[in-house]
Amino acid sequence: MQSGLGVKAARVAIVVALFAIWEILSRTGIVNPRLLPSASDTLATLGDLLQRASVRKDLAVTATEVVTAFALAVPVGALIGFLIAENRYFAEVAKPLLFFAFSIPKSIFLPMFILVFGVGFSQKVGFGFFSTIFIVIMSTTTAVESVKVEHLTVARSYGATPMQTAFRVYLPSMLPVLLEALRISMIFNLTGVILAEMYASRDGIGHQIATWGENFQMKQLLAGVVMIAAIAIAFNELVRWVEARCSHWRT
Amino acid sequence: MSAASVRRLIVIGLIALWEILPRMGFIPELFLPSLSSTLAAGWNEAGEYAHALAVTLYEVAISMAFACGGGILLGAVVGSLPRPRILIMPMVSSLYAVPLVILYPVFTVWLGIGSESKIAFASIYGFLPTMLATAAGIQTIDPQLLLAARSMGATLSQRLVRVIIPAAIPTVLSGLRVGGALVIVGVVVSEMLISSAGIGYLISRYRTILDSPHVFAGVLLVLAMAVAFNAAIKWIEGKAAIWQTGTRAGQSAEEIAPAALQPAT
Repeated sequence: MQSGLGVKAARVAIVVALFAIWEILSRTGIVNPRLLPSASDTLATLGDLLQRASVRKDLAVTATEVVTAFALAVPVGALIGFLIAENRYFAEVAKPLLFFAFSIPKSIFLPMFILVFGVGFSQKVGFGFFSTIFIVIMSTTTAVESVKVEHLTVARSYGATPMQTAFRVYLPSMLPVLLEALRISMIFNLTGVILAEMYASRDGIGHQIATWGENFQMKQLLAGVVMIAAIAIAFNELVRWVEARCSHWRT
Repeated sequence: MSAASVRRLIVIGLIALWEILPRMGFIPELFLPSLSSTLAAGWNEAGEYAHALAVTLYEVAISMAFACGGGILLGAVVGSLPRPRILIMPMVSSLYAVPLVILYPVFTVWLGIGSESKIAFASIYGFLPTMLATAAGIQTIDPQLLLAARSMGATLSQRLVRVIIPAAIPTVLSGLRVGGALVIVGVVVSEMLISSAGIGYLISRYRTILDSPHVFAGVLLVLAMAVAFNAAIKWIEGKAAIWQTGTRAGQSAEEIAPAALQPAT
């Protein structure tokens, strides 16, 4: 890693300072503590919430939806992206269309998913799938294009079988890009599912956060925000760590 | 057949299917109302939609000033100074992983359900990507240009006005495009969640009474807004292409991190 120990310490210091400012603002009453409960109270509430069965159930519901949508979107998107990238004519036809589909906001189609699927599991998975698939397609095409033609030529002229080409040439060159794609599509997926839950839902952590907000339960609301942020950042850092491990394959 | 004409055929085909499939009853009108009935619904309630559009545009304009102004300014500062860049950039990109929608309930509690909470949410929503794009773009400025300016004795302010800003224009524009698109999304999404006015509110209201044509008319309106915004930025980009020479090997910020800078919903 290029960042030294000092930089890491400074980053920790920034985070601690932010929490300290939050604590001070609330404790001294500069900001109304009813609108901004102190950081320590929020963290205590967070610990409390994690003990509750209902919150755990909500987390489990959300996790199932996120994982299902992800498990559906990634293979389908990767397949489509691969097919597009491997056929030049097809790529020329489809790419601008895909790019357009990619650039339009997905969230405005959320009502459509409710009209079609009703309010429930399939609606969230559907929307998560929909908001993830375009980024997966785009990244897979980029990943396939990152495979060097010379490498393929060399492999072929030495008589590599298609399986060997796939595992020895395609996979190593594509892996760094794919990992990055996985990380970003997970961000999209999580956002999609939580938005869908906040919009119309009976369970799930997004629904719970929206309810806390409507009932002015600031402690629970902020605890929920901190919790989701922590989960998202933890996942992100994990994949980035793997990415850094794999970066020596980048050619 | 050339790729462009196939593409045109696909688009025309999709529009035709949108009209034909619901008309023939292959898809229930509730799921997908035909194009003509959507347009008719929008036309009949033109006054209501125009009023909602005005509210939304007002919120978008103010949020864009906050998000893009702040994002470009801070991105330029962070991107041009190496120390803060190493310190802050990884933190900002991990923050980018957080689904920001969860902050919207906090803003509604603090600021109420009027325009203020939407503006706050959309500003935050557009801010991070704009800042990331700008900071990434500032780094692509050809260091030799800076070196030349410095060795000829340019002061910091001269370097900023004469070298950094002109060379950064393409980057700033692409940041503006990403941030602006996100601001539009942020405003509409927050209106859809909790609000009392705007296009998002109309979409949500018609959705609850299962009036699909009106829902789709609203969705089309938002789409048109996003596409028009994109086209406007593209046009400005074309006009400003002359500045493109300032970046290293003429690469733009988009080539550096295409996926990382795209709107997340």
